[in-house]
Amino acid sequence: MSFLEVNDLKVHFPIRGGFFGGTQGYVKAVDGVSFSIEKGKTYGLVGESGSGKTTTGRAIIGLNKITSGKVLFDGQEITDLHRASKDIRRDIQMIFQDPYSSLNPKKRVSDIIAEPLRNYEKLTKGEEQKRVQELLELVGLSPESSLKYPHEFSGGQRQRIGIARAIALKPKLIIADEPVSALDVSVQAQVLNFMQDIQKELGLTYLFISHDLGVIKHMCDEIGIMYKGRYVESGTKEDIFNNPQHIYTKRLVAAIPDINPRNRSQHLQFRQEVKKEYEQAFNKYFDSEGLAYQLQPVSNTHLVALPEKG
Amino acid sequence: MSEPILEINHLTTSFRIKDEHYAAVDDVSLTVNKNELLAIVGESGCGKSALAFSIMRLHNRAKIEGEIKFKGQNIAGFNTSQLNALRGKDMGMIFQDPLTALNPLMMIGDQIGEILLIHNKNLSVNKRKGRVIELLNKVGIPGAEHVYNQFPHELSGGMRQRVVIAMAIANNPELLIADEPTTALDVTIQSQILDLMKELKEESQAGVILITHDLGVVAEMADRVAVMYAGQIVEIADVYTLFENPLHPYTRSLLNSVPTANEEQSKLHVIQGVVPSLQNLPREGCRFSARIPWISESAHEKNPVLHEVSPGHFVRCTCYKDFHFPDGQKEEHNHVIS
Repeated sequence: MSFLEVNDLKVHFPIRGGFFGGTQGYVKAVDGVSFSIEKGKTYGLVGESGSGKTTTGRAIIGLNKITSGKVLFDGQEITDLHRASKDIRRDIQMIFQDPYSSLNPKKRVSDIIAEPLRNYEKLTKGEEQKRVQELLELVGLSPESSLKYPHEFSGGQRQRIGIARAIALKPKLIIADEPVSALDVSVQAQVLNFMQDIQKELGLTYLFISHDLGVIKHMCDEIGIMYKGRYVESGTKEDIFNNPQHIYTKRLVAAIPDINPRNRSQHLQFRQEVKKEYEQAFNKYFDSEGLAYQLQPVSNTHLVALPEKG
Repeated sequence: MSEPILEINHLTTSFRIKDEHYAAVDDVSLTVNKNELLAIVGESGCGKSALAFSIMRLHNRAKIEGEIKFKGQNIAGFNTSQLNALRGKDMGMIFQDPLTALNPLMMIGDQIGEILLIHNKNLSVNKRKGRVIELLNKVGIPGAEHVYNQFPHELSGGMRQRVVIAMAIANNPELLIADEPTTALDVTIQSQILDLMKELKEESQAGVILITHDLGVVAEMADRVAVMYAGQIVEIADVYTLFENPLHPYTRSLLNSVPTANEEQSKLHVIQGVVPSLQNLPREGCRFSARIPWISESAHEKNPVLHEVSPGHFVRCTCYKDFHFPDGQKEEHNHVIS
């Protein structure tokens, strides 16, 4: 039994229009996504903007309404979070992309971090203060920080405040939605290292959403690639990076800049070949609407969206 | 052979904060040659964009000292109308965020056409339209005729950035400054835009300054690289030297903090501390010393200057000779290169 299981998840947004504001159609942001995460592992969800990766994450935590499908967390169904027990919601927390807009500018750091504690635990003022101090220490911020406001911190420090808030209730699963995309490389390294440290310390499971394949390869054990709301490929890190099968994955991998300038022309040639193949083989890999096919197993761990009997 | 398009000598750009001037760009000298791509790298707050904006003279309240020689004339002393004759004609700029760089109320065709019109009042309406369509085709926008009459919000991020590039190259500039042109874009779109910029550079033989914090982009694009820290250039070298034999501690730390898709690393290198803000900038000694406290004080110079360690390879301060990473941390990028 997996720790988190997502079965045929669909999130469709209605398009309203016309004279009476009726539903004209649907935007299929997430269209039949299934995956599972083992406890203590990191699962990477990759895709370009608009591929539905963020919507998937938000649907799991209940920020977007699920149209159909099932989400099982630790064996319990949490598809309808309002009906699920309140404990489940404290076990799943989220780290947001933008450390500038995800912290309330009018609140002090101590209040930001204490908010989840106030929601779920009845603590005295003193106990609460103690917990906040512990959390600040854990994320490597000085104790005086608790009286400051978010604008007094740098981007990396803010992201750590966001992380402190997310781990305040000792959750089991953290959904990290592009946690380092807004940060500089050096700060990014700091946040990534820190996320790995607390994962070991607290036994966390991560759903790591990102468009940066370098970061994904560094962090994740298993990876799913999304395109227009559907999966095109999923597998272990080795499957995806060493043996990509779907043309879209190949293209993504080819687009990562090579850090060695000597490989430049070779890499450019490779990129152009893949681009050519992508253009020629588009119809082979995608259906008439330009969407991905159902996933077919290639090996035990590796699934690729290919047409049946293709 | 190599013919300098832009020569900057001892450029200092300072901003006034509470009656005092603080230098965001501090004594920077560099040259950009014809058909050369110079990349400027550094964390945010290092003065990369301030430098680009100074070259285009887009700061309106900054104090600029030093020389900015564009094709032999010092444009640092130019007035607005003299500058306007250059900007958008001989010098083009590509901005980071394509949505804010475009006017949301103007059709794409009119926006690009405006640049042509400003620098050539005699261009007829038909000729202008023809040229705009030609430009849109050149930057790889499909259905140029249709896009001509569209508004920026109707285009995707990659297409918008192509429009911004079309505007920047509309008058065949000899110098192109690109300020983080792909930071806001997806990785597949990024590679398309970078390939396009490279093609256009080869074709027009223009000099290009590419500002970025992405070392992967630098490795793919640059001919020469300048690394900036706290307003100063700390290392400058050709791209191969910089990646294979980086010397300055800042360059080495940056290279070591990148999660590369090719290498397995358990732990990324973290540069201690943060880039000092403009007001807290140390005015004396090595500016990077505060972030490598395990290196002894005596390794640094009192007044760090750029040393030429090999032809064309300059490093600031002497601390690079004694620099090593803290115990237990490997330097990863050497593995990548070998």
